[in-house]
Amino acid sequence: MANVIEHHRHIIDFTLSSLLRRKGKNGALLLVYAVIVFILASVLFFSHALRREANLALSESPEIIVQRTMAGRYQTVPIFWSDRIRTINGVISVRPRLWGYQYDSVFQANYTLTVPAEHPPEPGSIDIGSGISRMRGAYPGDIISFAGHDGLPRSFTIRNVIDHESELLTSDLILLSDKDYRDFSGIPADQATDLTLRVRNPREYSTIAEKITRMFPEARPILRTEILRTYDALFGWRSGLIIVIFSAAIFAFAVFAWDKATGLSAEERREIGILKAVGWETSDILLMKFWEGIVLSLTAFLVGTILAYAHVFYTSVALFAPVLKGWSTLYPVFRLTPFIDLGQVATLFFLTVVPYTVTTIIPSWRAATIDPDAVMR
Amino acid sequence: MISVRDVSKIFNAGHPNEFTALHRVSLNLPLHETTVLKGPSGSGKTTLLGLIGCMARPTTGRIFVNELEITSLPERFLTEIRRSTFGFIFQQVNLIKGISALENVMIPAYPTGEKHSLLRARAMEKLGMFNLDMRAAARIECLSGGEAQRVAIARALINNPAIIIADEPTAHLDSTLSREFMGIIKELKSEGVTIILASHDPIVYDSDVADRVVEMRDGKVIKGGKRP
Amino acid sequence: MILNPGILALFITSLLISLMTIYAACHGIQILRRWDIASGSELQLILERRTYLISTIVTYFLAFQLVSLFLFIQTADSICHLFVGAMCAVGTLTVNSFGYPTLLLKVLTFIIAGLWLILNYADNRGYDYPLIRAKYLLLLILAPFVLAETVVQCFYFFGLTPDIITSCCGTLYSQSARGIASEILALPVIPAKILFSVSMLATCAAGMRLFLNGKGVYRLAALSGITFVVSIISMISFISLYIYEMPSHHCPFCIVQKEYGYVGYPLYLLLLSGTVLGLGVGLLQPFRNKKSLEHIIPAIQQKCAGAAVVAFVLFTSIVSWQILVSSLKML
Repeated sequence: MANVIEHHRHIIDFTLSSLLRRKGKNGALLLVYAVIVFILASVLFFSHALRREANLALSESPEIIVQRTMAGRYQTVPIFWSDRIRTINGVISVRPRLWGYQYDSVFQANYTLTVPAEHPPEPGSIDIGSGISRMRGAYPGDIISFAGHDGLPRSFTIRNVIDHESELLTSDLILLSDKDYRDFSGIPADQATDLTLRVRNPREYSTIAEKITRMFPEARPILRTEILRTYDALFGWRSGLIIVIFSAAIFAFAVFAWDKATGLSAEERREIGILKAVGWETSDILLMKFWEGIVLSLTAFLVGTILAYAHVFYTSVALFAPVLKGWSTLYPVFRLTPFIDLGQVATLFFLTVVPYTVTTIIPSWRAATIDPDAVMR
Repeated sequence: MISVRDVSKIFNAGHPNEFTALHRVSLNLPLHETTVLKGPSGSGKTTLLGLIGCMARPTTGRIFVNELEITSLPERFLTEIRRSTFGFIFQQVNLIKGISALENVMIPAYPTGEKHSLLRARAMEKLGMFNLDMRAAARIECLSGGEAQRVAIARALINNPAIIIADEPTAHLDSTLSREFMGIIKELKSEGVTIILASHDPIVYDSDVADRVVEMRDGKVIKGGKRP
Repeated sequence: MILNPGILALFITSLLISLMTIYAACHGIQILRRWDIASGSELQLILERRTYLISTIVTYFLAFQLVSLFLFIQTADSICHLFVGAMCAVGTLTVNSFGYPTLLLKVLTFIIAGLWLILNYADNRGYDYPLIRAKYLLLLILAPFVLAETVVQCFYFFGLTPDIITSCCGTLYSQSARGIASEILALPVIPAKILFSVSMLATCAAGMRLFLNGKGVYRLAALSGITFVVSIISMISFISLYIYEMPSHHCPFCIVQKEYGYVGYPLYLLLLSGTVLGLGVGLLQPFRNKKSLEHIIPAIQQKCAGAAVVAFVLFTSIVSWQILVSSLKML
């Protein structure tokens, strides 16, 4: 056993020194390898973090949301629906909600406006998200104005800037009172954006949803679990799509690795010949090549992953946020909550190390089976 | 006793460029003696050395080293025998550039998994035999031709082989270095090491170290026997 | 198909592994047909060198297969909420009928590859390639399973369609019927506990006997196989309950999750190694009379038996420890 360890140690020593002796070639390979890992890891970490942010946000959202559609298009919901829905068994509470989006053509930003259920601001005052605060340079106590549905500006006093652990979802938020919002958006007093339901027993979700559609055929009930699922599929699908596109790059990398591995220089060929002549066996050379692969892969993997971690969680994916996010332009600065799991690391391993290893098996074996008497010829 | 029986080696068999390097060679080489294979280049000396040194296998025929048939062994067993029984000195010094003389000497023993400190001590001792202990840490590129030649010999000795095989060892050395080399061979011989040399250099085959000279031509032994 | 990164990784890897296996099998066929140890021809030399390539490929295969086994479970778990009624990997695997066959084939190919390497280890120690035919026949047995795994896994992934909201209507298209079916049928606890203890004890006893005086080879092999199956059944029946501290969550997969300290990884690793080593002992037995291996095989068998016992004992210790520290108390 001690012999086996010592054997590996000798071969690792030799491998390291021979890697260092060919800095140019191995450095280039390492660089490309690390870049590949970095890009893939960024995509994976980022989409995963987004998914978690969404889950975090939705964990507080209501179990069922009821919307109304007319001719397949979304409409506001009459408030009297809520009294009828409250009579369904199992429904604890029904609340009409008011919320919507507003495009600000001056700052070219989309705001999300909401009337909160608890502690809404007084009429005339609002709370704003940190993104808006940063962009407009507005802080508590300042007066700020926005153009309403009729194009006329309305002024509000800022009560608070919202500070939240999940900045991605609150950065563009404006909270205001019921009265202000109706005035701002033009929604009539007997209408609401949608209805939210609290339901005690999760098993009754679908029964209740079914009863609602029977009561109001144009109602469209949405379960929280379904939203979660849809978001998840969407984020997973996006990163999957990027990986599919990116697989061309992985393929190019594999070709590059193959080329590096087959194109042994005359010097390297001579070295392996010498090693075999003086008593190294084919499997010793294979072992050397194995350690070479491990050292390169591990270095590239660590460097790529660490850089990607910093890229995603400290610089907020500065390099390719537009591709991945893309539903609003107003996210000047936001921080994602750092999170990595084993599954992501294993996925990354399979997408980079395995293709690299597979492409180098045959070239390594070719190198290892150089005739031992080659140096005598 | 190393015994070569009816050995042929054919390269590229079945192809238009088929080439018979050795043709039914039989030879007995006693241990603890020094043999010189003499002949022009292309006479099959190197091929025969390679076969005896377990570097390759003959196409037909058998070779025995100390009664052990080595002809049909798989490569990994051949390598083990080669490593433990033979030490090689090549026409070129064939040292690995970029690493120290000491490491070069240690390389043949890496696969044995011997403890690093023991191995290092033995390598220093071998280098010391040739007054090279001061140069142990020097890179190969920084050594003179003579020093490099002696490092190569130290490397051949690291696993304490019973048999030393040297292929045209003086081909790239001047006369002074060639004589120095033969002096080292003489010393090894006096320690009981079996030595097989292939050479067409008179300094080698006319030297009084050689117990027997085997003359080869066109892959055949044409004259061989103990010197008077 | 769901374009999830984990699924893509598994998909690409299984394609690569299949290609490697086909390549190795083709060379294997040539070795079986043209092998002639007595010949000094160049072809024989080439074939001998190919044996190095093939054993390298199978070694890498074993490593990749192990990671892929765990990634498969991990991915299944991470996408479970895309399917109505699925609570963890069990639910995802039952979404269509190819989930469990894929898992089964992954385990099977891992075990065969492990056995192949044991055979290879023994063969490399004989001076005349004594097991060359057996080895390459086994490789040809392994290859179809690997290909089958790739195909079945493909069907499984292509058959996954998440239950997501369509733009026109909400909830009504979710069926909640899958809820109950996604639980695994579990054996009652007490018979399972008895079965588990008896088979573990018997296997370890057989392993010790083989280790000490070289007897009972086939017994150990058979018991290792049985113990593997019994352990999986026990995992579902009672071990998992203690780890989750819940009296009804019979899931063999969630134990690899972070919430349970990743305890599933060492458990499955030990169980798989013990099984491969135990079965390997039996696989070597028919070749014990080969002249070049008469002393080598008993030594390898002894080593394997010892290692198998260590693996099984460690497995049982972790299980017992989990049961002891668990707040769940059952008979």
